[in-house]
Amino acid sequence: MISRTVATVVAMSVGLLVLADFFVNSDSINALGLYLVRIASIVAAFTLVLGMVNVLTVHLGKIYSRDKGWPYSWVLLGALFFTLGMGFLTGGPGSAWMQQVFEVVLFPLEATLFSLLAFFSIVAAYRAFRVKSLETGLFVTFGVIVLLGQVPIGARLWDQLPVIKDWVLEVPALAGARGILLGVALGTAATGLRVLLGIDRPYVD
Amino acid sequence: MNEIQLALLLLLVVFLPVLYLSGRRVQEGNFPDLRPILAFNALQGVTARAIETGRAVHISLGLGGITGDTTADSLAGLSVMEYLADQSAAAGVPPIVTLANPTLLPLAQDVIRRPYGTDQEEAAEAARHVRWIAPGPAAYSAGVMGVLGIEAVDANVMIGEFGDEYLLMGEAAHRKKIAHIGGASDPSVIPYVYVSADQTLMGEEMYAAGAYLKRKPWHIGSLLAQDFMRWVIALVIVALVIINTLF
Repeated sequence: MISRTVATVVAMSVGLLVLADFFVNSDSINALGLYLVRIASIVAAFTLVLGMVNVLTVHLGKIYSRDKGWPYSWVLLGALFFTLGMGFLTGGPGSAWMQQVFEVVLFPLEATLFSLLAFFSIVAAYRAFRVKSLETGLFVTFGVIVLLGQVPIGARLWDQLPVIKDWVLEVPALAGARGILLGVALGTAATGLRVLLGIDRPYVD
Repeated sequence: MNEIQLALLLLLVVFLPVLYLSGRRVQEGNFPDLRPILAFNALQGVTARAIETGRAVHISLGLGGITGDTTADSLAGLSVMEYLADQSAAAGVPPIVTLANPTLLPLAQDVIRRPYGTDQEEAAEAARHVRWIAPGPAAYSAGVMGVLGIEAVDANVMIGEFGDEYLLMGEAAHRKKIAHIGGASDPSVIPYVYVSADQTLMGEEMYAAGAYLKRKPWHIGSLLAQDFMRWVIALVIVALVIINTLF
């Protein structure tokens, strides 16, 4: 009970101080705010160690109990220790060897995975473009207009298509996006205020 | 104090009492009628189905943590996770939780442990279902696709901060014919949610999880406050447009 109260008081005080730092131009409050944010960054960096422990626990557990796909866990742990060892032996993430790991292994793999997005987008669009209601009908209509308006053949078919495309993107689409962002901003503010006032206490509840 | 700071301070000064009064009103028993959101109805059935099939629910909390601009998205994901963890604990089928930002890991483990109370052994077993996959979007999505592909998963719930990688994971769920409930606040990701999920939580709907699923009075009160503030902002915008046009 006492630890909960202390945690709530500390969280609320720190939150209010950092908020005050945003609004007040005072050297002492700015310095204190910066100091608190730096402490948070250091604590956040330490959670990476927790993450690594979690990876080890989950995958050693999978290997031990021979869960489905357990050989992949060996590959993952092997890659983890290989990269970690290499980082320690060659002088950290800035070393030439580690740069090679990033450039030759990691970046191509990431690029390969994200290149799949093109195909996945087509498949998902095909599914979404099946007209089942007025809503999906409008979705398809505007989707086709924007699609044709973006490519050269659209302008050849009808020279007004790129103009309509620009209007769709700049007026209804932008208005919708701004409406969503307004709602998100209010939702974020409400969530923040609830935490700041100690109504929501994700750190002790 | 510059214009942005002044505008935000003004917003805060108005929002704070409105939030307090709305929360008090709901606490006194004046529960308003909430418009139905299908995704929350679907979430209420997810655990029951998982219990019937004996397969777990996968919850993805996305790329966000608790130290950035999208902390509210992560907390929204945790609210949904809290509800599903409570439901699953009673049936002994804890959800599989994946996340990319390690700052969220202790919170997620705490949420999944909480329903077990003093039963430390069960709580520790449940906490093992929370997995930190990787900090980058590509590696994280590959890991989640692996979980959805290999493990016995009955439903996929993805609520938090996401980027383009949402579609990779969403399509993996669709290929496995797993029920999929998704939520995102970024307007550039919402189309991916729309095309891949069975039920969607778009934008601010995500933050209403505590109000809809747990009926928390202060969360319902904050929905009322948000509605009030939306009207205020819309009226201010219209008034400023009229003033700028006429003068």
